[in-house]
Amino acid sequence: MSTLLVWKEQLQKIYARFSIYIVKALQFILGLCVFGLINSNIGFMKAASSILCTLGLSAVCAFLPPIVMAVAATILILLHFYALSAPIALVSLAIFLIMYIFYFRFTPRKAWLILLTPVAFAFKVPFVIPVAFGLLGTPVYVVPAAFGTIVYYVLHYVKSSASALKGGGTSGMAESLMAFAKQSLTNREMWIMVLAVTVGLLLVYAVRTRSVNHAWKIGSAAGSIAAIVIGAVGNVTLNVHLSYGALVFGGLFAFAAGLVLEFLFFSVNYSSTERMRFEDDEYYYYVKAVPKIVVSAPEVSVKHINASQPKGAPAMPKARGREENVDHAEAADDILLTRSLTKELGLGKLDDK
Amino acid sequence: MLDKNRIRLMAKMAKYEKSQAAEDLKISSYYKKDYASLNTLITAIWVTVGYALLAGLIIISNIDALMKNLTIAKFIIVVSIAVGIYIVLLVVYCVYAGSFYKSKHNRAKQRVKRYYRSLSRLGKMYVKEKK
Repeated sequence: MSTLLVWKEQLQKIYARFSIYIVKALQFILGLCVFGLINSNIGFMKAASSILCTLGLSAVCAFLPPIVMAVAATILILLHFYALSAPIALVSLAIFLIMYIFYFRFTPRKAWLILLTPVAFAFKVPFVIPVAFGLLGTPVYVVPAAFGTIVYYVLHYVKSSASALKGGGTSGMAESLMAFAKQSLTNREMWIMVLAVTVGLLLVYAVRTRSVNHAWKIGSAAGSIAAIVIGAVGNVTLNVHLSYGALVFGGLFAFAAGLVLEFLFFSVNYSSTERMRFEDDEYYYYVKAVPKIVVSAPEVSVKHINASQPKGAPAMPKARGREENVDHAEAADDILLTRSLTKELGLGKLDDK
Repeated sequence: MLDKNRIRLMAKMAKYEKSQAAEDLKISSYYKKDYASLNTLITAIWVTVGYALLAGLIIISNIDALMKNLTIAKFIIVVSIAVGIYIVLLVVYCVYAGSFYKSKHNRAKQRVKRYYRSLSRLGKMYVKEKK
């Protein structure tokens, strides 16, 4: 365990040092996942579905704010849908506009969260989303999670029935418009998953904000189990076809992801918990203090021992020694200034934004 | 000679200028009430558009069921339910938007105030150094 904690500490140091590059690389990887999945699943427009387009969009979006990636993904989806059939593009545009109007106008900085949900669904681990959002976010994260689920199922439906949706004449267009709108809004599997994600996320959040020991673990387990149960109940009552194996695997993976997140963001030592009680004029206070596990990464210093130096070698001149002393002092000063600037500006917390 | 305090102050101000200063200065050029009212009005218009889109989608997807045995009474009931939901949605969103934009204005104003204070501190530091 202590080795893992040392690794975590070293990871934090590496992140603090190269955060600009790491964030851009992660954005690029997310872009590759998002645009790659869109192009491989619904790549109806040949020009936009090439690998060059995927790479180019990912590279451009890596250097722009995350909201741009969400907008680019939306436009790419609409282009592919338009290439398939105009009514489908129209209905999808309406759905995306509704999402924008009712939620993303108020929190444009969190719009990129909607991208994570379809990616998790595509990788067959949808319950990671309620667990991760519940552990690291707030109840408001329910909205991007639910919208992401809807987007995934709309894409999934178009992919699975592309040939049927391809428009013919004017009457065919009207029919496909109605059929697509009906299928998009009355997909029972979609609503079951929206419910599972919503309830799972709220449950994880409710448990992890309690002061019980191992709240994060209990929350992850409770959220995963709730999501599995809702999926299974939906299977039985609404006659949808969710695979039980996939549900259980998704739940177990979500729990494992919860454990990893707990290790990374909330490592505390419950065995040293202290309970205090004190009072003032108006209240009695019952305080539970759980210490954080802090392990400092060992500093590796390389000492050069020059064995070949002859015994009678002349001693280092005094002036040189003084110069080195001055250098050390300046270096120490620089390090202290950098540290205090980092602390004051909160550069370690930039990932929140 | 480098002044550490000045470097700290300038770095803090540069970070703010890069991220939020432009938007904050624009927001704080309005009075709070004006800013909140304007944005609430814009929200109301957007909610109307969004509701119309949502209603349109629902009507399109359920057009068979709606048109089946359509009578004037049924039509009036459906329309009044739709209007009722719209009014409730509009009121909820307008109330939320009002408080949201008021607090946004407050936060922006505070940040701008802090920025101006830092600017004057920086100016004093330069004057002191010149002396």
